[in-house]
Order: sequence, then structure tokens, then C-alpha cells
Amino acid sequence: MHYIWKEWKENIRGKGLWLSISIIVLISVSILFRPTALSFDKGFYVLLINLFDTLIYFIPILCLFIGAFSIFQEKEQKTLIMLLTKKDNYPSFLVKKSLGLYTVVLVPLIVWFSVYLLLLKFTLQLDIKSYLVFVAAIVLMTLLFLQMGAAIGSFSRSRMQIIGYTIFVWFYFFFLHDFILLSFLPDVTYENVKFFSVIYFLNPLQSVRMYLETGMGVYSFGHMSRLMQAFMWTKPVFFLLGNLLVWLVVSVGTAIVFNRKEGYE
Amino acid sequence: MKKMTLLSFVFSLFLLVIPEKNMAAENLQAIIDSMKEGAVLKLENKTYEGNIVINKPLTMIGRSKTVIKGDGTGNVISVKAPHVKLSQLTVSGGSMDRNSSEEYAAIKIYTDHNVVEHVTIRHSFHGVYLSKAHDNTIRYADIKGMGKGEIAAQGNGIHVFYANDNLLEHNTVDGTRDGMFFDYAYRNKSYDNNITNTRYGLHYMYSDENIFKRNVFTMNTGGAAVMNSNHLKLEDNQFIINYGNQSFGLLLLQANDNDIKNNTFYMNQRGLYIDQATRNTFKSNRIIQNQIGIELWASSNEQTFTLNRISENTIPAVTLGGNSENNAWSKDGKGNDWGAAFPLTDLNQDGIGDFPVIYHSSLHQLIEDQELTNLFLKSPAISIYEKINATLKDDEVMFQDSHPLTAAKAQHSWILYLVIAGVAVLILRKGRHRLCIIFGRNGRKI
Repeated sequence: MHYIWKEWKENIRGKGLWLSISIIVLISVSILFRPTALSFDKGFYVLLINLFDTLIYFIPILCLFIGAFSIFQEKEQKTLIMLLTKKDNYPSFLVKKSLGLYTVVLVPLIVWFSVYLLLLKFTLQLDIKSYLVFVAAIVLMTLLFLQMGAAIGSFSRSRMQIIGYTIFVWFYFFFLHDFILLSFLPDVTYENVKFFSVIYFLNPLQSVRMYLETGMGVYSFGHMSRLMQAFMWTKPVFFLLGNLLVWLVVSVGTAIVFNRKEGYE
Repeated sequence: MKKMTLLSFVFSLFLLVIPEKNMAAENLQAIIDSMKEGAVLKLENKTYEGNIVINKPLTMIGRSKTVIKGDGTGNVISVKAPHVKLSQLTVSGGSMDRNSSEEYAAIKIYTDHNVVEHVTIRHSFHGVYLSKAHDNTIRYADIKGMGKGEIAAQGNGIHVFYANDNLLEHNTVDGTRDGMFFDYAYRNKSYDNNITNTRYGLHYMYSDENIFKRNVFTMNTGGAAVMNSNHLKLEDNQFIINYGNQSFGLLLLQANDNDIKNNTFYMNQRGLYIDQATRNTFKSNRIIQNQIGIELWASSNEQTFTLNRISENTIPAVTLGGNSENNAWSKDGKGNDWGAAFPLTDLNQDGIGDFPVIYHSSLHQLIEDQELTNLFLKSPAISIYEKINATLKDDEVMFQDSHPLTAAKAQHSWILYLVIAGVAVLILRKGRHRLCIIFGRNGRKI
């Protein structure tokens, strides 16, 4: 609880969280006002998919930065050393710090998306189940990248390192992962498609998107070929949970094993 | 004597309690049989037993809660006489049997000049079935199937079989196999129908000269599949979010000489999917935000694309299976608006770009060979893949529009600008007085 309160006080005094939330708010509002001649019953789904496709450009990198700088700040202010010499060890510090981060970032985000639902109510025909799936997708993505950010903050020794690692992680999931898979695509056969599918869904952006589109009932899996059926060997929600588990474990593990207690500054 | 009096009393009581009128009301077929030709039968707010056959011209009007429920062994209502009008009914309980020689429906029409309107159909194999029936009108029918997951076990919303000159308008179909299925059906008109969550919203087989206007197809596996059908008119329809690995807005397969105008193809896996089709004209359509705008197979020739707006698609147009050079991307000196992705100059201000739009892509081979490529079409990696492969030999010209239209100017909302300005001012004002912790060092003003 102390950590949550401490995290909250630090963040409300800073600009990072407000900047991130205001970007998300701006994007969601701008999509609401987006001039379009298309008017139809399914506008709600169109809006959510478009909103997700836009947010996916911002949420990962913002969360990586927030997570990384939050940990790094403890090093910078020497509070990390204080905490570790008193009663905490690094794993327990990391867990408490992560919980604080989740609360501080997710609460305003969830509050905003609750307000946003009210705004949507005036303009579109709502589907609450789909909206919950959308919010869950955003929350899980935020959580995952915050944890990755915490790992970056743990093993970085300077701000430049943080920026470098963050941009690399973002670039990897945004471009490189899919690009590598695209290069291997001609060699995918029925025999190895399951392995390919595991690697494909290791990209959180792909597994979150698949969860969202199937959860909202937008993506249809009818008439799948044998290859596609083998590719989708379990439900999208399990792909997402698996992805979440893998990256949380990797992030926490990396943070604990490679953590450096002091920065250069 | 006493016994006789008691007996007559009981008998008269029986007659009073169950009058003949009520007995007949339970048996709708008996009422229909007893009516004269051209009579109007007004049904009450109650459930009638179904599997009725109407074999004389009459009008049957229900009320808001009138239900005709079949016993699940056949058609609930069979219309075997012309000039029958059915109105304000809920029909359910048709046979779902797939082993019988007949395909059953909630309402099956075998004759001409009938009208079915304001009917609600549930729990039936086909919704309304027109079997060799001509000049009928089906309007304001609300048909609901078992959902998208169930394909083989259910039939179509409206099934038109060897039936010509029918009018289908303002119908809503949700979750059936195909929304509207036309088999050897000619000159039918479909206006303002709303079809969602089906396999193919519209499915055409061997049906020519039909007209489709202002229909909306959303969240189907395929919006409209036009197969082996010619001389159709598709105007002002909307094909929206037909999304899935094999999905499309409009499929033209062996379909020739069709006129496709003013339609909207928005957020589909493929906007248009054209295979073995010739001489089709695509004019003034909006093909926007699809993963593939137009997927054109080399087996298709002589398509004409003019005055369309084809923008914000991951891939605007792709030619697969070899180069099909006989397609025209402009007509009478007017091409298409390819959006901001293809910047143009228009120095003489005639609305036509000063140089042609040529689109190269290296993805065509991958899309053709590997269906999993579709899973990557939303990935930002696609643009990098295209750029890197642009220098390699497998980069081919997908289309060349010699007379591209200059992009329409985007309209912006002033409210949005106000909100952005307000938020910017708030953030800046806050930053002037406070200490920044996350992006600045604690204790230092930035």
C-alpha cells in the first residue's frame, strides 16, 4: 500500500503519466469526432477497432517509458538502496513497485474508458460485452509493457540506456518480430505451423489484437483451411494468457537477475 | 326424468363452455379452409398451431403477439395459391431435417403475386423460400438463425430458387447460413436489406439481371458472393467489417458484365475479390480501410475501375496469378482517387493528377502462395517488408492508373482542434510551476 501511495504521489507530480493519459484521451476523443460519411449500426465496432489500431502505436512505448523511468528514479534518488538495506530484497521491491505501477497507470486508464463509454452512449449503439473485451485488451497490453519497462529500468544504468533499450523493445515487437516471421513464411507447412503459431503469438501486439477481434465477434473463423485450423490450435484468449505469462516471467526474471542497484548519475 | 334433465343440462353446459368458435380457432387450417377466396382473416394475440397450407387467395393479418408455431416436421406456412398476403406474424418451428427430399422453411411460397410483410421468423431451416414463385414481395421480414458458427445445420434467410421478378425490401437477416441466396433467379430487386453475421450476406448462383440497392452487409464471412451470374446492378450498398482470413466485401467469381456503382467497402479483409470475371464496371465506389482493397486474379480481364476512392487500405490493389494487363484503371480520362498514400500534383487544376499512379508490390507472391500472409496485413512490418523488397526482382507493378484523381480534401472537426488546444494549454501551464520527476531530475525545474 505504501508503494502504491508513493508511486501515486510521484506520478501526479510528474509529467509522464499525465502526458501519456492525455495522449490516450486525445486519441479516443479525436476518433469520436472523426468526420466520416459512414453511418451505420456497427459504428461501435468500427470505432473500437480503429481506436485500438491507433492506441497500439502509443500504449506500448509510453508504458515502457513509464515503467523504466519509475524504477530508474529509485536508483537516481538513492531510495532503492535505502529500501533494500532496510527490509526489502530486490524481488520483493520489484513486485511491490510493479503493483504500485499497475495501480497508478491502470486506475486512470480504466476511469477514462468508463467515462468514454458514457460519451459513446450518446452517439452509437453499445455492446457492453465487446467494450469489456476492448478494455481488457488495453489493460493487459498496458500491464505487459509496464512490466517490460520495469525490467528495462532495472538493468539500465543511465537514461540513454533506457531510451535505447525501450526503443529497441518497441521496434522489435512493432516491426522486427513480424518481419522475421514474414521472411520465414514461405517455409511454413502443415507440419511446422503449430510452432510458427507459437512464435507468432509471442508478439503481444498480435495476440492482443486476435483476442480483441475474436472477442468482439468481428473476426470470423468460419471455413478455415486445414493449415489455418492447425495454426489456431487453441482459443485466442489462451494465446493471450500464454503470452502474458511468458513475458511477465521473462521481464520479472530479467529484472531480478540483471538488476543494477545504482545508476551512473 | 331427472336423469334426462341432468344429462341435457350437462350437455348444454359443455356447449356453452367450449363454443365452436374457440375450437376452430385452435385449428388455423380449418379456419383457412372454411374461408372464401379473397377473405381477410384477422388473427388474435395468441399461438396457433402451424404447418398450415394456404390454397386460396386470402389475407392473413396477425397482431403484435400472434405466433404460428410449426411442429418441426415441415414448412410452417406453405403458400400454394396466388395473391396471398401474410402480415404481422411470428413464425417458428420449421423442420430442420436435412435428410428429407424437401428443404423446409418457415414460409414457403410456390405461387406468384403474394405479399409477405412484417413477419418475424425464428427456429426454422430457411426463413422465406420462394420456389418457382414470381412477382412476390417480401418486406420487413426479421429473420434470425442460429448464429455464425452453425453453417451446415441451417438454411438461408431468404432463399430464391428459380424465381423471377420478386421484390425483397427492408428485410433484416441475422445469423443464418446465407442471408439471401439466389439460385437460377432472374430480374429480382433487393432494396434496403440489412444482413449480418451470416456466411455470405448475399449469395448468387446462375442468376442474372438482378438489382441490389442500398443493402447493408456487416460482419459476415463474406459480404456478397456473386458466382456465375451476369448483368447485375449493385448500387449504394455497404459492405462493412466482413473480416476473417477468407473474408471479402464482394466476391465476383465467373461473373460478367456487372455494374457496381456507389458502394462502400469498408474494413473488410478484401474489399473486392475478383476471380475469373470479365467486363465488370466499378464506378464511384468507396474502397476504404480494407486490408486488401482489390484482389484481382489474372484470370479476370477487362474490368474497368473509374472514379472510385481507393484509400487507406493496407494494400490498395494486388494482382495475383500472373499479370492481367487487360484491366482498365481509368475510363474516358478519369481514373481513381488513391488517397494520401499516392501524393499527386495537379498544376492545371483539372482534378486529374499530372502523372500516373503506379503501385509496385512484392507481397503478391507471398499472398498467392501462403494464406497465413493475411495474418500480417495489419502489421506495421508490412511496409518495411515492401520497402526492403522494392529493390529485389520480385517487385511487380500491381496497377497503373494513368489519370488518377487528385485526393478529396479531408474535412476536419473544429471541436477536435479546440479540445487539442485546451489540453495542450493545460499541460504547458502545469509544466511551468511543478517539478518533473519522471522526465526530469527531482528537485530541478525543467
